[in-house]
Amino acid sequence: MIKENNIKLIFLSLSLLLIIVIFFFPFFWIITSSFKIPEEIIATSTTIIPRSFTVEHYNKILFNSDFFIYLKNSLIVSFSSMIISIILSVSAAYGLHKLKFYGNKFVEYSLLVTYAFPGVILLVPIYLLFAKVNLLNSYFALIIVNVLFATPFAVWMLKAFFKLIPNEIEEAAYIDGASRYVVISRIIVPLAAPGIASVAIFCFIISWTEYLFASILISGDDLKTLPVGLAGIVGQYQIDWGFLLSGAVLASLPVILLFVFIGKYFVSGLTEGAVK
Amino acid sequence: MKKNNIEGWLFVSPLVIWISLIILVPIYIAFELSLFNVKIIGTSGKFVGIDNYIKLFGRSKFLNASLNSFYWIIGNAICQTFFAFTIALTINYKFPGKKIMANWIILSFIIPTVVVVVIWKLMLSSSSGVINSVLIDIGLLDEATGFFSSPNKAFISLVLINSWRWSPFLALIILSGLNSINREMYDASKVDGANFVQQFLFITFPNLKSVLFVLGLVGTLLSFNIFDIIWLITKGGPSSATTTLPLLIYETAFTKFRISQAATLSIVTSFLLLLFSIIFIKSMAPKEDD
Repeated sequence: MIKENNIKLIFLSLSLLLIIVIFFFPFFWIITSSFKIPEEIIATSTTIIPRSFTVEHYNKILFNSDFFIYLKNSLIVSFSSMIISIILSVSAAYGLHKLKFYGNKFVEYSLLVTYAFPGVILLVPIYLLFAKVNLLNSYFALIIVNVLFATPFAVWMLKAFFKLIPNEIEEAAYIDGASRYVVISRIIVPLAAPGIASVAIFCFIISWTEYLFASILISGDDLKTLPVGLAGIVGQYQIDWGFLLSGAVLASLPVILLFVFIGKYFVSGLTEGAVK
Repeated sequence: MKKNNIEGWLFVSPLVIWISLIILVPIYIAFELSLFNVKIIGTSGKFVGIDNYIKLFGRSKFLNASLNSFYWIIGNAICQTFFAFTIALTINYKFPGKKIMANWIILSFIIPTVVVVVIWKLMLSSSSGVINSVLIDIGLLDEATGFFSSPNKAFISLVLINSWRWSPFLALIILSGLNSINREMYDASKVDGANFVQQFLFITFPNLKSVLFVLGLVGTLLSFNIFDIIWLITKGGPSSATTTLPLLIYETAFTKFRISQAATLSIVTSFLLLLFSIIFIKSMAPKEDD
């Protein structure tokens, strides 16, 4: 079996190389480029190792732009969306997977299908609806939409975790006279904590990266989120690359920081919660 | 566990109400609008019945965008399946740095789409992009090419960029399916003399059914709905080659200001997606044993 192992090793090395070049190199490139002087960023001959170093772009974006206003808006919207999404999806996942009821398969599949409706199809009517009820230009408009985007998949992610919790633990607690509330807060939530953490990150990411609705439902400069602010620079005729790149790096930083601390729950939540 | 109807519904109802309100009310508004002739938001139009629907099917733009959406879904499905399986099968092996890679491969999914656009606009720039200069250095290109300048190149570039964003996330979901496969099956097949291609075809693939079902359904719908990557890079051009249905809806509503037409498009598109989902669920849903 030596020959087969060799083939495997070659395959593994090739695909590792492919993955690193395709999925990691672009990050190296924009981060180093954001520290290059403007002439080097748009130079026609490019070298992998940067030749210049400057923090002028970061100075400009941090001290001479609306960056902190957009950051504050993005943080408020993303955190609120995340918390509401967690409450709604944990409750729904508990109902769906711990209390079997008439119609639960229908609800489960319908939730997956709601992915068909979000997106641009809902854009025009949601805009009109929010205009009617005076929700345009408010954080809440974005929160409503983000929760809609995040929860269907969040419920599906929680399924695996809830199925791992043996029903006997719950039944034993009921026999001891525990109420539904105690069972959920003392048994279900702690046991499903890694799942809830991964759902939290997922919801945060969905809200943090949302662009389409934020660009249409918000028109006031003081309420714009980071992606909308950045897209404003992308759309300019003469792109100031240094400014744009440092903005892109800074806009990614909060999710990356979050991921440094609880990212492993997200990844193991996605990969280890056996889907069966 | 025995069925628990009232409490079950009580727990799912907050989410179900939230989602239905934010989907059904707008759909109703869109349907109403599609029967009128409203142009700019806020103005009123006259009742035209199903006129908008009849006109829609005669418009070449609708046909073009539907075809583009179809190619978009197929192109993304092929690319993402390839990338996602490559990543998942690779990470499934043991190698130094495996943990770090498994954690950070998803970087392209957690950053804002606008940042994805910035990355690839810079890397693929025709005047100073690193990809152009690398391709010239290794002799694959004679001179810098504009990756978004011709219809075909723009479409393929966008498919690749979108796949770059989504594949790692899909890979982790496939990995979850791989992890749930009983290791002993591989050992047993090895004893019987199966090679790793056979193992993939007869053990790995069949055992991924329930994961692939969700990916096939959700992945298709998600691909279909992609808007920002296309809009921010090509605005649907050149010559409408990258105008998919979502872009057409957006354009009709917010740059051409034909709200009723856009609403009609939304209704027809929702109907098509719903039809797809029902057929997909009916024919592909895995039998569950619980």
